[in-house]
Amino acid sequence: MASTENNALLSVRDLVVEFETDQGVLRAVDGVSFDIHPGETLGLVGESGCGKTVTGLSMLGLVPSPPGRIASGSIMFDGSDLVSMDETGLREIRGSQISMIFQEPMTALNPVFRIGSQMRDVLQRHQKLTRRQAHSTAIEMLAKVGIPEPAGRVDDYPHQLSGGMRQRVMIAMALSCGPKLLVADEPTTALDVTTQAQVLEQVVRLQKEFGMAMILITHDLGVVAETCQQAVVMYCGRIVERSSIEALFASPRHPYTAGLLASIPRVTDERQEVLPVIPGMVPDLLHLPQGCAFAERCSRVRDRCRQKSPRLELLQSTQTSVACYEPNA
Amino acid sequence: MNQTPEVPARSDTGTLLQVRGLKKYFPVHGGWLRGVQQQVRAVDGVSFELDSGRTLGLVGESGCGKSTLGRAILNLQSPTAGDVLLDGLPLAGLSRQALVARRKDMQIIFQDPFASLSPRRTVAQIVREPLDVHRIGNTRERRQRVEELLEVVGLRSNALNRYPHEFSGGQRQRIGIARALALNPRFIVADEPVSALDVSVQSQVLNLVTMLQAELGIAFLFISHDLAVIRHISDEVAVMYLGRFVEHATADKIFSSPKHPYTRALLSSIPVPDPTSKSPRPVLEGDVPSPMSPPAGCPFHPRCPVATDRCKTEVPKLREAQPGTEHEVACHLAT
Amino acid sequence: MSARAEVAVSVGAHGDSLWSKALRKFRRDRVGMWSLAVVLAYAVVALGVVLGLWAGDWADVSGPKWAPVSGEYWFGTNIIGQDIFARSLYSTRTAFEVGLVVALGATALGAVLGSTAGFFSGSWIDEVIIWLMGVLDSVPFILLVAAISYTLQGSPWAMHIAMIATFWIGTARLIRGEVIKLKSLEYVEAAHAIGVSRFMIIFRHILPNTFHILLVQATLSFVAAIKSEVILSFLGLGVKDGMSWGLMISESTFEVLAGFFNNFIAASVLMFGLVMAFNMFSDALQDALDPRTVK
Repeated sequence: MASTENNALLSVRDLVVEFETDQGVLRAVDGVSFDIHPGETLGLVGESGCGKTVTGLSMLGLVPSPPGRIASGSIMFDGSDLVSMDETGLREIRGSQISMIFQEPMTALNPVFRIGSQMRDVLQRHQKLTRRQAHSTAIEMLAKVGIPEPAGRVDDYPHQLSGGMRQRVMIAMALSCGPKLLVADEPTTALDVTTQAQVLEQVVRLQKEFGMAMILITHDLGVVAETCQQAVVMYCGRIVERSSIEALFASPRHPYTAGLLASIPRVTDERQEVLPVIPGMVPDLLHLPQGCAFAERCSRVRDRCRQKSPRLELLQSTQTSVACYEPNA
Repeated sequence: MNQTPEVPARSDTGTLLQVRGLKKYFPVHGGWLRGVQQQVRAVDGVSFELDSGRTLGLVGESGCGKSTLGRAILNLQSPTAGDVLLDGLPLAGLSRQALVARRKDMQIIFQDPFASLSPRRTVAQIVREPLDVHRIGNTRERRQRVEELLEVVGLRSNALNRYPHEFSGGQRQRIGIARALALNPRFIVADEPVSALDVSVQSQVLNLVTMLQAELGIAFLFISHDLAVIRHISDEVAVMYLGRFVEHATADKIFSSPKHPYTRALLSSIPVPDPTSKSPRPVLEGDVPSPMSPPAGCPFHPRCPVATDRCKTEVPKLREAQPGTEHEVACHLAT
Repeated sequence: MSARAEVAVSVGAHGDSLWSKALRKFRRDRVGMWSLAVVLAYAVVALGVVLGLWAGDWADVSGPKWAPVSGEYWFGTNIIGQDIFARSLYSTRTAFEVGLVVALGATALGAVLGSTAGFFSGSWIDEVIIWLMGVLDSVPFILLVAAISYTLQGSPWAMHIAMIATFWIGTARLIRGEVIKLKSLEYVEAAHAIGVSRFMIIFRHILPNTFHILLVQATLSFVAAIKSEVILSFLGLGVKDGMSWGLMISESTFEVLAGFFNNFIAASVLMFGLVMAFNMFSDALQDALDPRTVK
């Protein structure tokens, strides 16, 4: 059962997002519930197609429609429901209250405008600033995200910047209006390790400075371990496990989480000979099995797993919720 | 680079691949009148040897030239300078037919499981093509071999008449591996073969590669930006920066006692999937410089935390850190 | 045994190729299916003429001058008493002949030259083909037809050749660009690594992946050819022996002045119907073949 504390900044309840396809209705997100409190970082983890990105887009009303639509559920943010809000209201919130950064910064920046002018647009849309004020705020933000010589860089075009610098610009833009929530969708996946380390460090530092909550969407468990306090693990559109980072990595309860953690190659002094694997593959979302979606790949599968999907429930005497009939001890 | 007529005896245990001073420069065409203005030194003097059945992990950040190196070795992009010898025989200067014949021994596995298979051909056609090109066996034998290959990489034979788009990323990668194995190659360049795959599929494919290597004794040049993957798969590791090897040693040595500051920075940048090991890590400043205008001296010096004046002027050579250790490093300060 | 295997591979026993996906998608497109039906109806008319089933009497002077629409003369007769209905049907055959010859010729030429230029992009072969395209493109179309017509001493094929000589350029440019894109893809690199010859790489790995573009280009050339034929025939540069909608419209200029519209309306409406249907068919084909919507 989802906890219903009222001091949550964002609470998502039973969110269902569906897409119309040629072959029928595809349920990308199926009954997702979670809370985020101010200043907290929530990791949204899973493999491609698990619904993590669609969940993130729902937070800003950005699910492409058609073919997608939020079929049911609620997303309460600061006392208002984003699901029932109209486009005008969402536009007010987007960029000022809730911001998003994407995996590929080049596609999110307009190549024909200087970065300074793109940043000013965002600032002037949401805040009563003069052009001059907006310009100096833009420079200030660029300095905050660690761009050297921000006063000169502000007049650059996106293609003049390296990948790491572009992602920093995106972050500066996303944070420029002081949002309460940042949705970061694989923000460092396209970056090299050394750049990724720089950008992650910067994001975490700024988050503390702004007291902002963050949803970090990623497939990289290492990134989650280093930046998040809470994590939600998704599989085939559903949450299979929700817990604190420490608990998740120390004692994963769901067999999928456990399998995932075991199968990552690690930098150790001793070379591992064979990696433990999760057998099989993710089922087709259009033809999900009747019961638990993970049943086919699970080593502890029981008869009832194939009949009815387990609900996400809080394990006794822990802070971990898990959707499994036979969770790990 | 003259073709020696006498063929050295093929040794099963010895060196399979020798790369000597390999360079690949790309001309950059300027705007006005399309004159050649600059050159990108993608690979700038790489030398190494690889024994049969061993895996050399090649690690580096994007733009360091690791993919170009793999392609230059296979002569998919003809090298600007340097020699590649397979079984002691140079690949340079071969006629087109002679080169095609040598291609049996060396293959490549690609990163993108969607771009690496022709969308309008069936799995059977794709995996059979190498056999067709080299005229191996008759139709029935080829078909048998294709079925056998699919079994080896873990695909059911009902995959035969299907098209690539009907498969998942991991399965497509297996098809690509089957194609690479068809000619029984002795050397395979694996260019980021698991980077595009999900975590759970990645481990399946890595295990497949390990298993094939153990069974078939193929030598691999395994290219990846992911140090954890490199750690898992490699016997030896080479770290590349701006077209050159900066460190080259056995995997155990590289990971337990890295000598080059860049290798150390790479290692400390990896996010560790363990929340209890959060430690302040020295984060490298700045980005990789453009390979079009690499810095003078040691190419790493502008980002190096320990650079001295000597590093700014003198290019360090790849040398053994201590004689006899076979731990090569290109740094003035490493011992 | 081996023969059966071959059949299974080439037909695709249960494989779902991109073509069959596109076909499924096209079948669901109502506008596309209707336009295809209209085009096929025209094609049947044209085929009937070729087989001599009807309109064999298109040249006969059988009726009175400018007979009105009647049971005998469905579309009336022209100034010298020829049956406009028969002439319209015969013109359909001409339209298909011109359209098909030009579409096939221009598309084939564009495919071969465009893919060659693309595959050898940056080399002298590419430069020569680009130069050729530039030169042909810069000669005004009508002048080119006149020049070819003059050179061929009024051969009935002058028009076809002129159209092919210009229409291939657009296709070649598109194919060249696509081939440049395709040849850098990893599966083409894989073919190189296997040792596949360059000729086979172009014809087995690159060209088949441009077929969807060629198909659409062929339909566009077909339509363009029919429309150009009308203009050229009107100018006296087009159909030499036979009858076409263009010639009918050309004839009708005098008739329209005299207040007789049958020739003009019959030719324009029939041509409009075919061109329109073909255009819509072409659009639907493009949608169905678009890989972004196929997957």
